[in-house]
Amino acid sequence: MTATLTHTPAEQALIDALDGATGWQAQLREATLTQGLPTRRHELWKWSDLRRAANDVTAPGRMIVTGLDTPISDGARIELDVTASAGASAADAELVIPAGASVTLIERYSAEAAALGNWHLKITLQDGARLDRIILAADKPDSAFIASSEIALAPNARLHQRALDFGGRLSRIETHVTHPGEGAEVDLGGVYLLEGGHHADSTSVVHHTGPGGVTKQLVKGAAAAKGHGVFQGKFIVDRAAQQTDARMTHRAMMLDDRAEIDAKPELEIYADDVQCAHGNALGALDETALFYMRQRGIPAVRARALLIESFLAEPLDAIADETLREDFKVQLRTRLEALS
Amino acid sequence: MLKIDNLHCQVETQDGEEKPILKGLSLDVPAGEVHAIMGPNGSGKSTLSYVLTGRDGYEVTQGSMVFEGEDLSELEPEERAAAGLYLSFQYPVEIPGVPTITFLKEALNAQRTARGEDEVTAPEFMKLIREKAKQLGVSMDMLKRPVNVGFSGGEKKRMEILQALVLEPKFMILDETDSGLDIDALKTVSEGVNALRAPERGMLVITHYQRLLDHITPDVVHIMANGKIVKSGGPELARELEAEGYDKYLGEAA
Ligand SMILES: Nc1ncnc2c1ncn2[C@@H]1O[C@H](COP(=O)(O)OP(=O)(O)OP(=O)(O)O)[C@@H](O)[C@H]1O
Ligand SMILES: [Mg+2]
Repeated sequence: MTATLTHTPAEQALIDALDGATGWQAQLREATLTQGLPTRRHELWKWSDLRRAANDVTAPGRMIVTGLDTPISDGARIELDVTASAGASAADAELVIPAGASVTLIERYSAEAAALGNWHLKITLQDGARLDRIILAADKPDSAFIASSEIALAPNARLHQRALDFGGRLSRIETHVTHPGEGAEVDLGGVYLLEGGHHADSTSVVHHTGPGGVTKQLVKGAAAAKGHGVFQGKFIVDRAAQQTDARMTHRAMMLDDRAEIDAKPELEIYADDVQCAHGNALGALDETALFYMRQRGIPAVRARALLIESFLAEPLDAIADETLREDFKVQLRTRLEALS
Repeated sequence: MLKIDNLHCQVETQDGEEKPILKGLSLDVPAGEVHAIMGPNGSGKSTLSYVLTGRDGYEVTQGSMVFEGEDLSELEPEERAAAGLYLSFQYPVEIPGVPTITFLKEALNAQRTARGEDEVTAPEFMKLIREKAKQLGVSMDMLKRPVNVGFSGGEKKRMEILQALVLEPKFMILDETDSGLDIDALKTVSEGVNALRAPERGMLVITHYQRLLDHITPDVVHIMANGKIVKSGGPELARELEAEGYDKYLGEAA
């Protein structure tokens, strides 16, 4: 069946950029060819319109990834810099964390203006492996950037993920985890902080396929006037995944009446003996606390920044590497100061 | 030092209406003096403390409030703080995630910067806060906890005075600082307040009870009812109230 779809210039650019691609990139090409870029009509893209966000993309571009040559062994620290030039581009990679190894993976995303970047990682954690995955999606203000990953754990493996996203015209971090239970643990955390005109989308699916899995997820965000945050989290618990303990929390702060935050936490449970919960809370800055701080002499702008920082910092506090943790907090603080 | 003249203030209620609370309040606290304000629940004492310190939603509709020659209504809350105005809150506010030490250092340095003074260094600050914490019997562990989070009612009040000792304001408003304090704590806190009494400093002490005024002897006692000062006198006025209640003043205020 040939597609009768008329492609937008961005879609055509992406199709051209992926001419002759194999593997995941070929799938992306095929999907773009037959369905175009996702719009809000697409179930999984309810609040993020990629076709629209990429409407200034007209030609193929390039995605450059450095750091992939780092050998993966116990104690390894892999630093991937993923950069999208203007235009449509994609790149992908596959990582296998060997049995029993403990590895830190740091990904830094950046994109030029008018980029449509697609980055995909396939990660396998073997028995007893531990992965600390840390994502800084900071530097891509005028572009659409989609980072997706498929992560499969073996029994006794542990995945600890933290993402810090300052958004962009459209920024999406999409994480799909297959969780076998049997001693495996997943901890997904994220923070987004959005100035006006920025959009960040945190989408994740954790699929529990075996018994006794533990999953924690805490995503916190804040959006200024005309910032748009999206959280979509889904836990699937198969019949075979009895005694799963899975908890999801999204908490966000609207810094202005004109901010928009959309959240869809979902549980899809087919087992009967599980402990699963999700929570979602949207709030505003605590005006009483703000006054208290100002009464003590702290200027309004600084008081706001302190309050927002203390609200957002929690997921980042769990970053094991102290230098990285501090670096992330400095990034957050710098953004906050620029915001006010 | 603090001159309030015919002050009218209204607050915005939940349903957006304007409700007059202060209805022509006049008060003059010279430097070096401690004035007490007593008055029934709902008479507007906390409202006065908020309007003086510039809380949002408290609107001055008439009259004036002048602090050391400066019109307070022209200043932001943080500017009033830097000018030396300090409020010990009736209900101190919890600030999750911000350690008390960090908060106080930010506050002190922000005030100093606003006044054109040098910031205190981290070691200087630690020395200062250790000394003041000791004076008030507050542990350093407690100062590492987020501001007021999980503190008991009495501990919060003690912290309010500790903050005052660190910030050394020129003028303190104590809004029911005695409520929630046990007998020993009341003594410690009063000693802290008395340590701040000085010829160049003024204080407004809002309280319901004589027991605080046994420790902090006021120069003048004012009775407030229905948004106004209805009577002023010496320390004996407080003892008279303790014995007789507010009944005879409520009629005068209406
Ligand atoms: N935001 C508000 N909306 C509506 N009414 C308010 C508001 N703030 C204060 N009031 C009312 O104003 C009056 C004065 O309140 P205030 O807190 O100043 O009293 P107070 O003298 O401090 O009382 P207490 O001794 O109980 O502390 C009360 O009747 C109170 O209900
Ligand atoms: Mg009160």
